[in-house]
Amino acid sequence: MSARQILLVEDNELNRDMLRRRLQRAGYETLLAADGQEALNVVKASRPSLVLLDMNLPVLDGWTVCQRIREDDSVSDTPVIALTAHAMAEDREKAMDAGCDDYATKPIDFPDLLEKIGRLLAG
Amino acid sequence: MSLRRRLTLSLFTILVLFAINVGTHFWGSFARSESMVAYRQAVTAGQLSGELAKQLEDERQKILVLSTLRDNTDDTLSEPDQTTALEGIAGTRETVDALGRMVSDVTALQYEQLEASSERLIGSWEAFYLNYNDVRWESDIDDPIPYLEASQRLKELEQRQSFIAVQRANVIDRTIELTDRITVIGFIASIFLTATLGFFLVRYTNDNLKRLKRGTQRFGAGELNYRIDDIDDDGELGDLAGAFNAMSDKLRQAIEEEQEAKESADEANAAKSRFLASVSHELRTPLNAIIGYSEMLHDELDDEAQVDRPQFQSDLGKIVLSGRQLLALIDDILDLSKIETGKMTLAVSSFNPGEVLATTIESLRPILERNGNQLELVGLDAVPEIENDAVKFRQIIVNLLSNAAKFTDQGVIRITASIPEGSDMVCIEVSDTGIGMTEEQQAQVFEAFVQAEDSTSHIYGGSGLGLAICKDFCELMGGDITVASEPGKGSVFTVRLPADPASVRAAA
Repeated sequence: MSARQILLVEDNELNRDMLRRRLQRAGYETLLAADGQEALNVVKASRPSLVLLDMNLPVLDGWTVCQRIREDDSVSDTPVIALTAHAMAEDREKAMDAGCDDYATKPIDFPDLLEKIGRLLAG
Repeated sequence: MSLRRRLTLSLFTILVLFAINVGTHFWGSFARSESMVAYRQAVTAGQLSGELAKQLEDERQKILVLSTLRDNTDDTLSEPDQTTALEGIAGTRETVDALGRMVSDVTALQYEQLEASSERLIGSWEAFYLNYNDVRWESDIDDPIPYLEASQRLKELEQRQSFIAVQRANVIDRTIELTDRITVIGFIASIFLTATLGFFLVRYTNDNLKRLKRGTQRFGAGELNYRIDDIDDDGELGDLAGAFNAMSDKLRQAIEEEQEAKESADEANAAKSRFLASVSHELRTPLNAIIGYSEMLHDELDDEAQVDRPQFQSDLGKIVLSGRQLLALIDDILDLSKIETGKMTLAVSSFNPGEVLATTIESLRPILERNGNQLELVGLDAVPEIENDAVKFRQIIVNLLSNAAKFTDQGVIRITASIPEGSDMVCIEVSDTGIGMTEEQQAQVFEAFVQAEDSTSHIYGGSGLGLAICKDFCELMGGDITVASEPGKGSVFTVRLPADPASVRAAA
């Protein structure tokens, strides 16, 4: 398990492609998932060091995915950063309540996101 | 019974009792005074009887003395002595007459007997005086019978009279006793009745006032469904309770109306907030791609000596696509907003729906056939020209076809145009063999932003607003849109627009 492997969960193809490439440029290895169920499978199978999790996902939504990760002892300490286009304060609360460690609003401020990732991986 | 009626009845009862008391008093007075008169007469008659007895006795003694003198001497009776004697006899007679005036029914018989016997006696005495000086006249004055008879009669009368007096006195006693008793009973009864009536009146009024007070307190505490229905009165207090009830009804109604108005205002506000949040969400998704790709390309230009031109071009294309998507989204939002505020108008012109369908399908063909889908067109040239808004019609068709293409893979997309028998509506059907929808999804499919939550891609103008706009447009154009679907089998969207131009003008 690489210390710099990030699972990117995003259903929008363009955004997924864009973020993957930027993360790779920043030196991270990336795993991809397009829906919630796939994300859970990848988390359990590959044990990434961090999950970037879109909240509006088909099959299983991001909040449920985050809760399942926290409930599974083998992966429950995986840091999760929520990504969402919902910009209200209560959306942030909702994500944090579901067990996310941090929260980033779309459009993503990439340097800020990198800082959050760095902080969580260091901690 | 009303309070006023109760009060009136109580007052009337008390007045009747007082009247009975006053009547008893007057009757008692009358009866007493009547008996008193009779008693006094009896007493007077008794005195007169005594007087008469004495007069008869005196006169008898006098005459017996004179008779002895006349028999044994030759003395004559002088003129003045004779007159005096006759006056004495007249006085006795007057006493008898006076007794006669005291006679009542119950003593009449005794008096008549007395009068007859005393008249005989007095008559013999008169004759004695008148013939005293006549020596030839034989006197029978010594005979005691007439005197004894008169005395006997007088005694009988006296007995009768004293009996009457005692009887009268008894009557008076009884009358006084009776009237006293009636007065006391009436007085006690009226006091008791007044007190009882007063007590019940106060208790009854108090109870009802307490209920009224309790009711108004509960109204005051906001219990406007409470009813004051325990008032035992169909008069003033009942009316008052009715008025309070009506007041609480009105209050409750007013509060409910206020509440409804507030709720509907709150609902409208909440809907606006949700709409804004959804708009913000929808705008951020393409913006994320635009900003992300732009920053990334910028970084690449900075960092790398050689630019991968085809990749760069493809990335720029994605930025443009997202920009267009953003624009389409903004247009959709503006359309919805116009419809909501009633500012959307129809640009009515004559057009053939079949032709518009054909050109639209042609321009969307690459998208429609992208997922290996087969296209079937049925009856496009079978429908006549209609008068309606061709631009909006085209937009409806674009939205429906985009959806069909988006959710169908390796399937069939069929477009059918027709005028069903007996109908005056042009019917456009867009059916697909795509993923379909559950009943729940179908119920929400025409609501703004609902679809956006689950959609897999927004590339083809699918903002989640498309079907909401379709529905609003169809209704604006005098028609409607319906959906029939089954999960895994596909969906059929049916647009119906009026074939008759008049109904469109009416709707416009």
